[in-house]
Amino acid sequence: MTYALVSLSVPLFCALLLTLAGPKLDSRHAGQIAIVCSALSLVAAWFALMQMAELNQTILLELGGWESGLAIRLRLNPLSSLLLLFTAFMHVLIGVYAAFSRQGVSRDFWPLSSFLHGSLAALWLSADLFNLYITLELLGLTAVAMVALAGKKAYKPAANYLILSLVASLFYLLGVALIYGRYGSLDVVLLSLQTQSDLLTRIALLIMTAGLMLKAALWPLHLWLPAAHANAPTAVSALLSGLVVKGPLFILFLLWSEVAPVDLAQQIGPVLAIAGMIALVAGGLSAMRSPYIKTLVAYSTVAQLGYAMMALGLLLTWQLPQMHVALWLFVIAHGLAKATLFLAAGEMQATLGTKRISGLRGATQTVPVAMFAFAVAGGSLIGLPPSGGFLAKWVLLQPLLSEPQNWPWAFGVLLGTLVSAAYIFRVVAISFDRARINPPDIRPDRVGHWLALLPALMVWGMALTGDWLIQLLAGSSV
Amino acid sequence: MSAMQLYTIVGAAIFLLALHGLLMTTDSIRRLIAVNLMGAGTFLIMIALAARISPPDPVLHALVVTGLVVAISATALALRLITSAAIAQHSQDSENKGDGDLSEDVKP
Amino acid sequence: MSALLTWTSALPVLIILSSLIPGLLIFATPEHARTRRTVLNLTGIVVKLILVGLMLRGVSQGLEFRFELNFLPLAPLVLHGDALSLQFITLSSILWLATTIYAIGYLEGSPLRSRFFGYFSLCVSATVGLALAGNLVTFLLFYELLTLSTFPLVVHRGTPAALRAGRVYLAYTLGGGALLLMGIALLHALIATPDFVPGGYLLQHIDNYSLGFQVAFVLMIAGLGVKAALIPLHSWLPQAMVAPAPVSALLHAVAVVKAGAFGIIRVVYDVYGVEASTLLSLTQPLLWLAAATMIYASVRALQQQDIKRRLAFSTVSQVSYITLGVALAGPVAAVGAIVHLVHQGLMKVTLFFCAGNFAETLGIHKVQEMDGLGKRMPWTMAAFSVGALGMIGVPPIAGFISKMYLGMGALEVDQPWVVLVLAGSALLNAAYFLPLLYRGWFGKPPAKGWKEDNFYGQRFETHWMLLIPALFTAVLSILVGVFAGSIFSPLGWSELIVSREFVQ
Repeated sequence: MTYALVSLSVPLFCALLLTLAGPKLDSRHAGQIAIVCSALSLVAAWFALMQMAELNQTILLELGGWESGLAIRLRLNPLSSLLLLFTAFMHVLIGVYAAFSRQGVSRDFWPLSSFLHGSLAALWLSADLFNLYITLELLGLTAVAMVALAGKKAYKPAANYLILSLVASLFYLLGVALIYGRYGSLDVVLLSLQTQSDLLTRIALLIMTAGLMLKAALWPLHLWLPAAHANAPTAVSALLSGLVVKGPLFILFLLWSEVAPVDLAQQIGPVLAIAGMIALVAGGLSAMRSPYIKTLVAYSTVAQLGYAMMALGLLLTWQLPQMHVALWLFVIAHGLAKATLFLAAGEMQATLGTKRISGLRGATQTVPVAMFAFAVAGGSLIGLPPSGGFLAKWVLLQPLLSEPQNWPWAFGVLLGTLVSAAYIFRVVAISFDRARINPPDIRPDRVGHWLALLPALMVWGMALTGDWLIQLLAGSSV
Repeated sequence: MSAMQLYTIVGAAIFLLALHGLLMTTDSIRRLIAVNLMGAGTFLIMIALAARISPPDPVLHALVVTGLVVAISATALALRLITSAAIAQHSQDSENKGDGDLSEDVKP
Repeated sequence: MSALLTWTSALPVLIILSSLIPGLLIFATPEHARTRRTVLNLTGIVVKLILVGLMLRGVSQGLEFRFELNFLPLAPLVLHGDALSLQFITLSSILWLATTIYAIGYLEGSPLRSRFFGYFSLCVSATVGLALAGNLVTFLLFYELLTLSTFPLVVHRGTPAALRAGRVYLAYTLGGGALLLMGIALLHALIATPDFVPGGYLLQHIDNYSLGFQVAFVLMIAGLGVKAALIPLHSWLPQAMVAPAPVSALLHAVAVVKAGAFGIIRVVYDVYGVEASTLLSLTQPLLWLAAATMIYASVRALQQQDIKRRLAFSTVSQVSYITLGVALAGPVAAVGAIVHLVHQGLMKVTLFFCAGNFAETLGIHKVQEMDGLGKRMPWTMAAFSVGALGMIGVPPIAGFISKMYLGMGALEVDQPWVVLVLAGSALLNAAYFLPLLYRGWFGKPPAKGWKEDNFYGQRFETHWMLLIPALFTAVLSILVGVFAGSIFSPLGWSELIVSREFVQ
């Protein structure tokens, strides 16, 4: 637990330090400090994970020494330690990219990204509904500020994003109030023993679900996402799509797999799973039609979250621990792949001077590394073996295929695979067009392109640890 | 009807009315006001729920205070963004006057 | 991971790396460093051939070559060199040599050669990996990698036509890959997917899961059938003809089409097993499908006036001989199927080399333009004739041996109608190949000269790097037919494989 607290507090202190230092620190030094802090947090998270892999049990910590019920509890289990590690890892990767690529970021990026890191870490460790609300708000505000870093053009999308984010949080908060009014407790573990499927609980859970689905951009409440993610600076888009939307998803998961009574969870499960399947296809089709590179990538987030939602829905319907493994494998694989997709898209946009997909003609020659990174990361989204995306899809498919009555769900996965292949290879095929090459505006930034490739290689490397990851996550299922 | 029920219902009504207002307007400031009203409804419900026992539940009061802090800071950020967006829009409009909008903005 | 890395477990990995590492290095080679690229290519090939030779010797002595790496629960990555995989590996390694030399000559002076040869090597690595795959999951992995590494080759020219063909190719092969994934995942969900075993591993579960097994079979054969170009999944192949000639050779003879056919062999023999496939009544529909593909594609080939397109439809037809032999589910037909994997590869690669030579040297693309070719390019025309006659089934060229075994196999399992199909297909083959030979040898050269005439007055009738590979594979096609009785001929080796498959 100590390691996990270090992993949480280092980025928070870093954020405070960078904020207080203000303009006294230039962007380069701020970047170095932020990266070192993320790396420290990464090391601590690694130790926490090793500890968890060994103990394979849940540790609860009552903050401030208050007795349970009054105290705000933090909880560490294999899942939360893995997510801590994942978050820190993503921050290091994207921080290094932001610091060393030519595109760069403004000075304000660094304290904000540290805040984001800290609030996500706090979110993974929280086991208290109100505490989760606080982390959710913190996450939302930081994310909005980061979108606004893109400059004037992004103010409007950022303002819209903020209003939606606030509405979503209020929905969630109202639900929390109702739950507290009904059971007199906010602690996830305590609530899981108390909840009953009465009307008030239903209403509260539904209100909270609506809010969380809005925040996580789950279909059909996803419409805000493409504008916000496509308009943010490149490094921010990567963080938003790769990490931020996973926060509310985590709360949704806690809510239904722990807080909600089993019979209610089984009722909502198919609804979520069907919404996930629709997200997969509808998001994919939108991505296929999008004329802009970044919008395509953003819609692909909507589609890929469909897989996660499907896994969550089926987890609830059948109360199957295996689905929990699939869900979090999707989250991690998607996070890494999406980081590369946004970084590569941003690099290609900058080099080729176009936001349009049609401007990528000849990209395999003009920006070979970035285009290769895009294709490799795309391969994981499609679920080509041996990528992380494949790993997740494989785990998801197993229970779907073992019983003939579940085969329609598997058909949904097949459809999703085909649609993702269609939108990824739409871009890849254009990039091979040698007849009408779009010449680059500037010399490609080699460092930036190679750094963009890094997360994609990681997601394919995930396959090597596949067996271990699956067992770790299976051990932490509730 | 007890006072607690009355306040709960009033809170829910404010929440829903504000939600309606939010969905019906496009103006950013109005939407922000609607969001604040939704917050007010939520807090009202929370305070009403605190009175379900005697003495009133201090935990909910604490939550409301925290929620207020969050709401105020979020509103401040939103106001800043909305005004900046309006200023940016205004200056862009005056630049583009006459020659149409040829920029390749990413549209949702 | 296996505790100890001995040479027997390292060898399969080394065989894959022997083309993968040169491939990656070639990507990093600057465009103008022609010598460095050629050296890398040839070193890779020589090393691979030596390693394959080592493994051939080991397997014939009964050594076990197995490498394992943790991957999915109950489905590790397994590379396993057995007799069947060696049949395929030897073929693709030897043809890789011929095709690489051909490609160096063919692409001389054209742009983006580093990219081309890089993907070329990746493609061979994927093929070899696929041949060495020891279970279905590993097979799937390399099957998809093969798709990805061939796509850049298909669209290499970067013209709108090439891009169109590339999109069609991807749509078919990725769709096929998704179906194959579904089939394999289904089988894994039912009974897990252990290593391939001669005779299959399904029989004991057949009572519990017959529906699941049938669905999985259909999914897998549909997925593999895309690459093996079974109708109605064959349309990508003629379209992919826009690619450069060495790529066509690679697609048709060395890698892609063969990967599909090889997969069908694996699924029927080493996963389902002949007995279980027959019990589940899966082989008969497959037989009909293969027979229909043979006849249909031959008829289509007859209608084509473009030489390469005619060859493409001929491939569709010839590859289903392999499927046909598998679906006959008898040992003799199995020998025919497995040996045809090699024979068709040798003959078809010869034909594509020759067609490429005609196009590169004289600008000839259409059947009508072939008049009098034999006088200008006697060697190439001779090699072409060997390939064409072999396809028809004239002894002693390789094709005759496979057809004989397939026919005998059909009679053995009491399906005499298949002999009629084979005869019909041979007649159609003759109908679409003989006119070409007639025009080439006996037609009059065009009075106003050839459309273009490169390499005229040089020592050879065309660039030597284009001519030698064609002659090499033509001679091989004759040799494997003449020496079919020896144990190290493809036929002898196929009999060894089949004796292991059908021993139970």
